[in-house]
Amino acid sequence: MNIIGTSVPRKEAPNKVTGRARYTNDINVPGTFHAVMVPAHQAHAQIVSIDVDEAKKVPGVKAIITGDDVSILCGDVTEDRPPLAKDKVRYWGEPIALVVARNEAAARRAASLIKGRYKSLPVVNSIADALDKKAPLVHEKNGSYTVATPPVTPKKSSNIADEANVTKGDMDKAWKASDVKVKVHISLPQIDHAAMEPRIAKAEILADGRVLIHASTQAPFEVQKLLAKYFKLNPGQINVTAPLVGGAFGGKAGVQLEVLAYLASKAVDGQMVKIVNTREDDLATSPLGMGLEADIALGASKDGRIQAADMRFFMDIGAYTDSAPRIARAIAAQCTGPYAVANVHTDVYCVYTNHTYTTAWRGFGHMPMTFAVERAMDELAEALKMDPMDLRELNAIRPDDITPTKARLTRSNLGDLPKALTHMRQLIGWNGGRVEAVAEGKVRVQGVAAFWKTSSSPPNAVSGALITMNSDGSVNLSIGAVECGPGTKTTAAQILAEKLRIPLDRVFIHEDVNTQVDPEHWKTVASLSTYMVGRAVLDAANDLITQLMALAAAVLKCSPDDLDYGDEKIFVRDDPSIYLDFKDLALGYKYKEGDSIGGQLMGRGKFMIRHLNLLDQHTGHGRPGPAWTVGVQAVEVEYDQNTHQYRLLKAATVMDAGKVLNPAIASGQVMGGMNMGLGVASREGIFYDTEGRFLNHQFRLYKVMRMGEQPKQYLVEFIETPQVDSAYGARPIGEHAVLAIGAALANALSRAANVSLNTLPITPETIWRERRAH
Amino acid sequence: MLPFDIEYYRPDTIEEAVKLYRRLRENNQEPVFYGGGTELLTRARLQDVHYDAVIDLKNIPEVRIHGQKGDWLEFGAGLRLTDLADQNLWPLLTATADRIADHTTRGQITLGGNLLSTIPYREISLPFLLMDEAEALIATDNGIERRPMADLTSDSFIKPGEFLVSVRVNGGEAKGVAYRSHKMTRQDWIDYPLVTVAVIKRPDGSIRAAFSGWAGFPFVSSEVNRILSDTSRSPRRRAQQAVSHMPVKALEDLHGRREYREFVTEYTLAQILDELEDD
Amino acid sequence: MREFTQPEQVSLTINNEPRTVVAYPGETLLYTLRGDSLGLTGAKPGCENGDCGACTVLVDGVPVKSCLVLTAEVEDHHITTVEGLREAPIQKAFLDHMAFQCGYCTSGFLMLGHALSQHVDRADEGRRTEWLRSNICRCTSYQEIADAVTETCSSLE
Repeated sequence: MNIIGTSVPRKEAPNKVTGRARYTNDINVPGTFHAVMVPAHQAHAQIVSIDVDEAKKVPGVKAIITGDDVSILCGDVTEDRPPLAKDKVRYWGEPIALVVARNEAAARRAASLIKGRYKSLPVVNSIADALDKKAPLVHEKNGSYTVATPPVTPKKSSNIADEANVTKGDMDKAWKASDVKVKVHISLPQIDHAAMEPRIAKAEILADGRVLIHASTQAPFEVQKLLAKYFKLNPGQINVTAPLVGGAFGGKAGVQLEVLAYLASKAVDGQMVKIVNTREDDLATSPLGMGLEADIALGASKDGRIQAADMRFFMDIGAYTDSAPRIARAIAAQCTGPYAVANVHTDVYCVYTNHTYTTAWRGFGHMPMTFAVERAMDELAEALKMDPMDLRELNAIRPDDITPTKARLTRSNLGDLPKALTHMRQLIGWNGGRVEAVAEGKVRVQGVAAFWKTSSSPPNAVSGALITMNSDGSVNLSIGAVECGPGTKTTAAQILAEKLRIPLDRVFIHEDVNTQVDPEHWKTVASLSTYMVGRAVLDAANDLITQLMALAAAVLKCSPDDLDYGDEKIFVRDDPSIYLDFKDLALGYKYKEGDSIGGQLMGRGKFMIRHLNLLDQHTGHGRPGPAWTVGVQAVEVEYDQNTHQYRLLKAATVMDAGKVLNPAIASGQVMGGMNMGLGVASREGIFYDTEGRFLNHQFRLYKVMRMGEQPKQYLVEFIETPQVDSAYGARPIGEHAVLAIGAALANALSRAANVSLNTLPITPETIWRERRAH
Repeated sequence: MLPFDIEYYRPDTIEEAVKLYRRLRENNQEPVFYGGGTELLTRARLQDVHYDAVIDLKNIPEVRIHGQKGDWLEFGAGLRLTDLADQNLWPLLTATADRIADHTTRGQITLGGNLLSTIPYREISLPFLLMDEAEALIATDNGIERRPMADLTSDSFIKPGEFLVSVRVNGGEAKGVAYRSHKMTRQDWIDYPLVTVAVIKRPDGSIRAAFSGWAGFPFVSSEVNRILSDTSRSPRRRAQQAVSHMPVKALEDLHGRREYREFVTEYTLAQILDELEDD
Repeated sequence: MREFTQPEQVSLTINNEPRTVVAYPGETLLYTLRGDSLGLTGAKPGCENGDCGACTVLVDGVPVKSCLVLTAEVEDHHITTVEGLREAPIQKAFLDHMAFQCGYCTSGFLMLGHALSQHVDRADEGRRTEWLRSNICRCTSYQEIADAVTETCSSLE
């Protein structure tokens, strides 16, 4: 078969162009109640009282819940977040109450009548505010919260929720010995995922005690486990369904609305209740992507070899920790970028602020981290008077190098960055980074940046696959990974079709995930689904083939070793005219006389990540993921020296994909990723005013890229260094195209404008301001 | 979706609409006149406005008027911004209209809705503010009243219970000018303006400029116009002078800082003056 | 004068079929379309603020953000939703160019593309961009969508 490596369309594509693809909010049971959150309009305040009396009088209102009604604290690492603010409000937009009503209009009317009375507290409005010695505490109990998933090291009586460190070699000595040193300070705002489908959850508690959840989530099995834990239920009681997801980007990997939906249903006798974010809620109330301040120091010898890297990262995690400690460890583990650096000292801090809390965002912290490192790399190139591409090639990490956390690298687990750099020179037509005048006041310039990323997944992450056969010999595939857009389900079906040597349209894969019927899959995150699901599918396919062979061997009176398969047949290897069709084996084999053997054939497959460990608390050493994906990105821009406006001409990515399973889907992922990364770098960012009020919680003010603003040309090239333990050698590629493209843009524009652009987003005003300060 | 119940009325005549408003008020209801709905619906969803009834004006023939009558170019308040562009009766008006919101939304926003918006930009007013002869026809209890468009931002321009029927300009004046209309944003094509500048050069060579986004309301300044018309100075110098003589300080908000607005306004004006000099 | 003061039956022509549906005077077209009675969930709520365009449908052939229009306003008008596209060239072009990933914004972009392909001035690239800027896609690079719309418009010339 040649299904692997072929640009087959997404399985669900026809439904998506006819309006027939169904997302969570498209499937509604008549009579569903609606829950609406009441957001706080304070960033940091004691709650004096919450007046719900007027709201209760609104016809149709069935229940109003406030923080006082809820005793649990949520958090997948540190349990520090009340589902509804209790005693204290910690960010503007934090829900202080939940209204449950017969219909949405009644719930919204009532919600608008709920008034919180507050005693304002000083607002921790930045990393600097938070680290000030006299800073007010966002969490008085920091350090005393229950830790659900160690490690995490909060610092009591401070706003530091966690700290992760990595040391390698002798930083001080190497720094002193370095000939050329650069220091860069980076400042990046929080950003939003801005998935087009707002987050949504529905909950129903049945009379038999089962809890049915429908949600737009990347982590149905996490929803199941956390709800069970929070509400002391048996996980088996909780049945989570995740239909097609309308974009996620990490923002739907956390658990927030599901908890509120459950509380709401409980308050109305278990009726089905739906809670849907408005776009305003989705931005201000549900979690964002982190902001970052970083100080990067690189020391190199005269020949350009990096000797020392000294780094401090301060993550603006907002008011609650959520996944931040995991992200901090991911940043620590990959802190050098894809370069071999012998001496490293890195500290990563998760800093509480009175900003909206944050969670995973496409790339799990690697995008802001890469921005910091890659800006420092360009500054180093400048200081060395070296071509930025040459500097990267000289220092590129290679097999047999070790990572900052002392994981050993191989050709299989790393791929080939030097080759990617070589290809990029061709692809973009690299000119050495020169600023070229093209017209009066206009220059053209290129910028480059490289990335690496591994999964930073828990060492016990699992995945599974189940195959059942239909009477016609076609197969059904069941997996626990959610379809958020990248074609996860299609890729799994391709892998199965290839392995079974059947056409893709003979594999049926349903769009939803249901925790009760589908095998567990850790979470649809970290670009890991193809690796984990792929291995589970191969395992299940082998299991099914073994069963087909065994049954056929019995019928054909031979050993399974004599048999082979293809064209939906099991046949005798040296005489294919002796065969049985899959369809005659699928539901058991029926002899002419009518007696039968076998029963329905089902393939079971499982996969568990191996050889990973939690990073050592003191040295940070350990192995954070099964393999890295490396790549390089570049842009070409035209910059107007008078107005500081710029146009994106080209954006290019060369990535080591291991093996490209579906070229069209893969390049779509990469182009979309570049577009998103360029959007972030050129216009996105959350604005808070001096009171910590969230100012841009609509798409009118939180700007994302629109048609016509994308680069004139997108260039994508894959190289293929197989990851030998992955299905067909494929590496994770889903997140990676966002990682370095913003840094490439900043590198290009910094050279074009002859200033250091170390903050995002880079708007003409940013450049103008830097030029004036210059 | 509106979180509160409303009544919907679509009168067929001006008189019906005016009377209906009065009747609803007498009934202690809070009616609003309704054009494209883009602002009334979005603000109602967020519950920062409340009303009991909408009076949709789009079925009233006078509100849909669009054409030349005698010396006048007439534009009904119920015309969509895309209608203005499609007919292109007054190219300066088209140029300004074409940069408001996005294309689909321009098919919903009406001329009257943008002129009387509570969102501060009201960019479609700029061409009218540049004309000597531009007036609004306003439906009142006493019939149609004519009010100068120059008074657009004053409180007396339109009172509760009155609605804008149409706007008209002298066709000879409107078409006898060279013009530019530039919208400058923070970064995006679709965004509120940092500043939108509409500039005309009149047959006598004098220059007039109208601004939106600079302040919380659109405006024209005779002092600025005088500076811009002083051809003894270079365009660049005039632009600098104009910016330092604006009648109000520039806004400072998330679209841009005050000094950056000044910078952008200055180079935009300089560029426009340069171009108009060549015209 | 049309007076519509409480829920009542409203007549609409949806995808060339006359339909009557009970609506509230303050109901947006998006809400009516997606409601239990019509069940046309192809139009998506993405912001209900007119910013994202995921709810775009055609009213008398012209794209409209259905979150920004009252059902009462479009009484007796012709409404086309994505469910009404029957093997329209734009659908095939979207499939061929993989002009979507998650699919949530797709209906809105399809309606813009379809309207453009029916439009007299469809050949103009500037016009296509100007129309397509009305909507937001967070997954693709926009190039795929632009290519699909361009191909549809040019193949019809």
